Amino acid sequence: MPLLELQQRLISAIFQRDQLAAAANLVKTQGRLNSEQRVGIYRNSAHGILLDYLESLYPVSLELVGTEFFGRAAHNFIDQAPPTSPFLAEYGVGFAEHLAQLPALQELMWIVEVTQLEWARHAAWHTVNQASSDFTQLETLSAQEQAELRFQLPHSAQLLSSTAPIHSIWLAHQTEPYADKLSFEEIDLQTAEQVLIFREHRHLHQISLNHDDAAFLKAVQNQATMNELAEQFAEQLPWLFSIALQNAWLTGFTTTQPV
Amino acid sequence: MTPNPILGCGIGLRFQHIDQILAEKPPIPWLEILADNYLTPGSVQQDYALEIAEYYPVTLHGVGMSLGASDPFNETYFQRLKALADRIQPAWISDHLCWTSAHGWVSHDLLPLPYTEATIKHVVQRIREAQDRLERRLVIENVSSYLQYQQSSLTEWEFITAVAEEADCKILLDVNNIYVSAFNHDFDPCKYLDSIPIERVQQFHLAGYEDKGTHLLDTHGAKVSDPVWGLYALALKRFGALPTLIEWDNQIPSLEELLAETHKAMETQIYAFA
Repeated sequence: MPLLELQQRLISAIFQRDQLAAAANLVKTQGRLNSEQRVGIYRNSAHGILLDYLESLYPVSLELVGTEFFGRAAHNFIDQAPPTSPFLAEYGVGFAEHLAQLPALQELMWIVEVTQLEWARHAAWHTVNQASSDFTQLETLSAQEQAELRFQLPHSAQLLSSTAPIHSIWLAHQTEPYADKLSFEEIDLQTAEQVLIFREHRHLHQISLNHDDAAFLKAVQNQATMNELAEQFAEQLPWLFSIALQNAWLTGFTTTQPV
Repeated sequence: MTPNPILGCGIGLRFQHIDQILAEKPPIPWLEILADNYLTPGSVQQDYALEIAEYYPVTLHGVGMSLGASDPFNETYFQRLKALADRIQPAWISDHLCWTSAHGWVSHDLLPLPYTEATIKHVVQRIREAQDRLERRLVIENVSSYLQYQQSSLTEWEFITAVAEEADCKILLDVNNIYVSAFNHDFDPCKYLDSIPIERVQQFHLAGYEDKGTHLLDTHGAKVSDPVWGLYALALKRFGALPTLIEWDNQIPSLEELLAETHKAMETQIYAFA
């Protein structure tokens, strides 16, 4: 049998349980294990590697749904969406959407939103570094440049608008004594939260934003010009701008039209 | 940057230990960087790898080249690996004599090859291409295995020897993997060692396995077992005191416990030559 066909049959068995027997035909029966059991070791091993990885990616989701439920959901996800890249860190992006389809979670969508937050943290951590703009150069802009002035969030920034208090739930499941940490029982699950996640050097920030800060950063993310920001936020703008700069929520600016 | 010499017993760099290593700079002879986790240019992960390489001799060890696959090589993977190697100047780059991708899917697990003359020809061509792309001679590692294909006509030691000779690459001999595969396929691990050409072996790996009753599973999640220490002593006598690395990927212990395993490896070296 050509190597290509042999490899396609074995990898199909790893990601499709009903292909185990077809792959077992390729394999010798030895000792106490028959050929199907031997192929099964590889299916279990590959799934185990990916399950461990998903558990490391979604530790709070794992705690919320329990090990058994998470494991079953993860194994189904792995079979439905096997990895297609050698870069493992790219895997797992669709796990929240997979959970959202499960009947058991239809009344618990806040868990899915926590899963989305955990992916946002992962994505922010793996975003490449960027240099910050020199904001003192703002003073040197011409009037025409100021009209087109737009600010930029960090490349790693993830702005999440959630119907549930995902930041508070996430904090409640951390062992570290965060200042704004509540116990899970103290959290009102009906409270919406706006969350900003971004990476600054080797530190991952996760902040629950108030309504005004969230609206300002959303407008910046949507590439509003300085004039549009002034119109939308009026006398609040200097304060919002100052807070954003102090907290490193803005890392750059441009005076060219967005592509 | 000139590669630093790789001597003695090192450890595999794991993310859980990086901050401690950078803060305390413990005397570790060398570190093996699991390349796949550090390949994104400009990422915080790669920053860590570059910083580690400022203080310690390093090698790059991959799991994603898929040297035995029939799929085309992943261009991005090789570009990034070459770029990282050019910056970090590892003493060498190693990966496994196996395949991890087919059908557009990636297993992220090390899958064995059929041991045939046709596979030797295929893998040799792939290793040569990989060496050309990376502009370096590769070091290939034997994997643990749990199955043998009907069509295999060669032993694993005949296969790896032929591949290394024809591709003119080096061998990373994983002593634990030899022991695990010997148990699973009922062959003599000493015969395996005695069949590998001495001049081809560059490095040893040691790790822990789990006894599943019906088979041994290479988990990298425990201390090196006594039988593997014994096989390592035999390997030292045949191949010499080559650089040795402790691999530990699951249930990762404290840095101190990991380093204690390297000390045990050094003691084994001393006794082997006493």
